[in-house]
Amino acid sequence: VPGGRAALRLCSTRMEQEGINKPVIDRIIRVDHAGEYGANRIYAGQMAVLGRSSVGPVIQQMWNQEKVHLKKFNELMVAYRVRPTVLLPFWNVAGFVLGAGSALLGKKGAMACTVAVEESISEHYNNQIRTLIEDPKKYKELLQVIKQFRDEEQEHHDIGLEHDAEATPAYSVLKTAIQLGCKAAIFLSERI
Amino acid sequence: VKCQHYPPARALQASAALRRASDEHKKEPLTSSSQQHFDSPPAGHQPEQEPQGPHPSYTGQGGQESEDYESEEQLQHRILTAALEFVPEHGWTAEAIAEGAKTLGLSVAAAGMFHSDGSELILHFVSECNTKLSKLLEKEQKLVQLGEAEKKPIDEFLRNAVEARLRMLIPYIEKWPQALSVLLLPRNIPSSLNLLTSMIDDIWHYAGDQSTDFNWYTRRAVLTGIYNTTELVMMQDSSPGFEDTWRFLGNRVADAMTMSNTASQVQSTGEAVVQGLMGAAVTVSNAETSRAVT
Repeated sequence: VPGGRAALRLCSTRMEQEGINKPVIDRIIRVDHAGEYGANRIYAGQMAVLGRSSVGPVIQQMWNQEKVHLKKFNELMVAYRVRPTVLLPFWNVAGFVLGAGSALLGKKGAMACTVAVEESISEHYNNQIRTLIEDPKKYKELLQVIKQFRDEEQEHHDIGLEHDAEATPAYSVLKTAIQLGCKAAIFLSERI
Repeated sequence: VKCQHYPPARALQASAALRRASDEHKKEPLTSSSQQHFDSPPAGHQPEQEPQGPHPSYTGQGGQESEDYESEEQLQHRILTAALEFVPEHGWTAEAIAEGAKTLGLSVAAAGMFHSDGSELILHFVSECNTKLSKLLEKEQKLVQLGEAEKKPIDEFLRNAVEARLRMLIPYIEKWPQALSVLLLPRNIPSSLNLLTSMIDDIWHYAGDQSTDFNWYTRRAVLTGIYNTTELVMMQDSSPGFEDTWRFLGNRVADAMTMSNTASQVQSTGEAVVQGLMGAAVTVSNAETSRAVT
């Protein structure tokens, strides 16, 4: 055996939590936490501009639900000892700018942004559910949480449509651009 | 005296040999032949089996392994643990590993499994120290949870944890600078960085850190800085019982606490200033509006 090939696996000091796939769960929780954090900031931006308009209460209600989501992921992050993404300060600003920017395009613009983001998030949660459902017993709690959140994000998406999101000028361009941004954000937050 | 070291290794070899035999349908009475080896341990004969013996069978016939079957990794762990005893004398070198292998009744050629610069030995040692620290912190946490101990304030907790971890270096302190330089070799950096970050994360976890924002990174960066600088100070320290090092550690931890308090004060002052400005802006705009009306 050549000297350099000694394959020593240095044991991590972390406790193994009942044989879950730690790297996969790490990524899932990190990216979901980043997503809910970003969603919070988007709604905050929208409220800053449209808070006193007629859609204010609607946006506020959706924002409240996102706050609950973020709180849950904060708890999960501590429980599974997952590191948050380094990009959080960036999502802080980018989310707010996106929310405020879309709201400056008017109520329909804000709703279009909501539709785009919520559609991305729902699809993303569905992908995660597909991954986790391969072992439903091991990931029971996480699956339950993600399923519930996916349903609520879908509701937000529908609310956005109800409020004339599609009537926004340049709706498809706006939607595509935002969804591309969301895909990039998801890709980066999973890794860094 | 040496005979006492042989049986465990022999037993493992015997059972491994037995398993290979049954798998390969050999008809030789291996049990009796290994018995003979127990009775008269010839220095030259058995050791030759050791390095080659484990090798072909580690991919495991059909992946079947029973509890007394030692994997290559476990064997390496045992050799390295045994080698630590010889580090103060020989340094982090192949000589120490060879001596360690000898105490386990293996050939000195077993040291050939490892790199000549002692990388694996050092990384193994660091990993073992981290595991010991983890267990210690977990035990303390249990005592606090059972109400048998007081929960320490954060600065005291961090100080004690870092001190406990650094004290594990004391028996090897003469040769530790050599180890540090080996850990910084580009080849070893991924592993040594991984060990360092998981140790720091462990300390913060048991200190009760629950941050989920950028503070997660700030805290770990600060503690890593404290640990590394204290370690370097320890290398140069010749005071009795390393009291200079522990004093340095205390000061650095206190600095970190002050810095974090200052940071939060700055933040709340900043927020208050922003609120004040917003209030002023609203007042001015109201005044303008009312003046425009009249």
